[in-house]
Amino acid sequence: MGKVLEVNGLSKSYKKDVLAADSVSFSVDEGEIFALIGPNGAGKTTTIRMISTLITPTGGDALVAGHSIISEPAKVRENITYLPDEAGAYKTMTGKQYLEFMAGLFTGDKHVAERYIDRAAQICGLGDRLNEKIGSYSRGMIRKLLLSRAVMTEPKLAIMDEATSGLDVINALEIRKMIKKLAKETGMSFLLSSHNMLEIEYVSDRVGIMTKGHLMVTGGIDELKQRYNAANLEEVFERVVIENEVR
Amino acid sequence: MRFGNLLKKELRELITPQALVSMGAMLLLFIFLGQMLGDFTDSMEDISSATICVQDKTAFVDDILASLKEENIEVNQVELTSEDYAAELDRLELDNLVIIPAGFTDSVLVNKEPASLKIVSKVAGGGMISTAQTMSATEVIDAIEKAAEDSILLESYGITPEEIERIKAPVNTTEISVLNGKSAEVATEELSAVLMMQSMVVPIALFFMVMMASQMIMTAISTEKIDKTLETLLSTPVSRLSILGAKMLAAVISALLNAVVMMIGMVFYVGGMLGSAGEEMMNMAVAGQEVSASADGVMSAMEAMGELGMSISVGSYVLFGIQIFISVMIALAISLLLGAMATDIKSVQTLTMPIMLVTMIPFFVTMFADLNTMSTVPKLIMYAIPFTHAYTAMNNLVFGHTALFWGGLVYQLVFFAVCMFLAVRLFTTDKIFTMSYQTGAGKGKKGLIKQ
Repeated sequence: MGKVLEVNGLSKSYKKDVLAADSVSFSVDEGEIFALIGPNGAGKTTTIRMISTLITPTGGDALVAGHSIISEPAKVRENITYLPDEAGAYKTMTGKQYLEFMAGLFTGDKHVAERYIDRAAQICGLGDRLNEKIGSYSRGMIRKLLLSRAVMTEPKLAIMDEATSGLDVINALEIRKMIKKLAKETGMSFLLSSHNMLEIEYVSDRVGIMTKGHLMVTGGIDELKQRYNAANLEEVFERVVIENEVR
Repeated sequence: MRFGNLLKKELRELITPQALVSMGAMLLLFIFLGQMLGDFTDSMEDISSATICVQDKTAFVDDILASLKEENIEVNQVELTSEDYAAELDRLELDNLVIIPAGFTDSVLVNKEPASLKIVSKVAGGGMISTAQTMSATEVIDAIEKAAEDSILLESYGITPEEIERIKAPVNTTEISVLNGKSAEVATEELSAVLMMQSMVVPIALFFMVMMASQMIMTAISTEKIDKTLETLLSTPVSRLSILGAKMLAAVISALLNAVVMMIGMVFYVGGMLGSAGEEMMNMAVAGQEVSASADGVMSAMEAMGELGMSISVGSYVLFGIQIFISVMIALAISLLLGAMATDIKSVQTLTMPIMLVTMIPFFVTMFADLNTMSTVPKLIMYAIPFTHAYTAMNNLVFGHTALFWGGLVYQLVFFAVCMFLAVRLFTTDKIFTMSYQTGAGKGKKGLIKQ
């Protein structure tokens, strides 16, 4: 299976001598769901933003579908979609207009754009509400719209920061199922980040645990549970953090 | 294609139905105000008819009424049935009435004493239009007085109307205005009025355009940041410069639309206020057309401007247009930098202040003062503000101060290049995400949004 994402020693410092991400390295295979987990300020969002070409690394590089985020950011953006945490949508547009606008940024072909929109409409399940202004949507509805937007183009890599934030249990469950299904059926890869260990345990194939800008450990869920003699991912996380603090 | 998609989205956000309604409301307000003030002006001038009650039926009074008709005042004669003026005005459905009482002729011609006239007016309210009603009746009284005066001078002293004219206007003045080493037969006051019109119309439009464009681009950028749509947008396969360009172009289009509506409103306002004369003046000021000399042979202000070398060529208009465009672009670039710092709506309002100040200060200073007569430091401060050059451009062109005009244009171009460089740099680096200005506790603090 080919690698969709290869991260090699990625670092970022906003202030002198303070590294928000410190030599982070990992990879994501085709059709794989990889999750970065860690507490607030661990460097998850910084890492994700660098891979999404939004901010420039101060060290290292990452290849998305073989394209460097530093030297070929435009090529990288053609292969990814990014869903930021707490992202909004344009309130003056209707759901449909929003999807049309976003589809138009990915393709100039009208028929392809229509296919994207139809797929998103089907995934978000908003039905006739798509013809209403986004300003009238609930937080959960906006999140569903944005999620469907992020997968409608079937990118090689969909990057999602706190994918289910703002969604109730039922909706969150639906989204997790949807991510799993898309990865399996279309071969899309996902890079997720979350505080919600339960969610990650359910949805991910592999995880990377981050604290204080460092990627401490990566591995499959079962593999890590076994390695740290833990009952669930939360316990793995706790032990990794304690182990590294003791060191 | 993708740029078109972006531009469409930006325009849809800026030109909303609400924005169109407020533009329409503004236009209606201007038309309404102009019409209202125009009504007042018209009623001031409207002495074309007069209601008179003649209680002294003599040939002398008949002559006076005939002379009023010669002055194109239509006389409407009425009879009173009582001394109750309030009831009489109500019965006759009049706002005012002039009464020539019995014995008027005897007082003037026989007793040679001041005769009595009565003017009865309804107090309609405190507004300007109700004052104008009384004033129009007073004008009729003046006309009657003049007719009586002429009759006395002719009958008692044998002075003819021609001689009266000569006595009343013994001197004929010819005003000559001198400028740029040339002279023209025109009143300086008249020339100044046209110049003021000409140099005020465009700055007003520019002022509104700069203000609107700034606010629009600031809102456009800050809303993207506040609503957290910017990150999604910047992660799509569209170049950041296209996103920036679409935002700026949409703001220019929208500001232009607003400025056009504002200008149409102003034309209606001034046109309505001054009547047909004002409209003509306004058209002249806007189009800079030359008009033919007026009937009495006195040179028109626009003709005089041509003679004095003050008329503006098409080339100058093009240069002026370029300067206005650059001014708007400078405002957009500065607003873009400021808007990118906003983290909430409150900070957007605070950040709008600097751009408002640098637009307003030169607008008012150049309207009331001459920069060339200022002392060095204030003059340099004023010239350092790029918008000053746009406000003074028209006068610099008219008065032939080409060095000042070109200097201003070059300064604006350099200023724009620097602002644009900073804006592009901001948009193509991490700074677009990390720069922030927070109101309240974290005021003025440059910080990271999220790491």
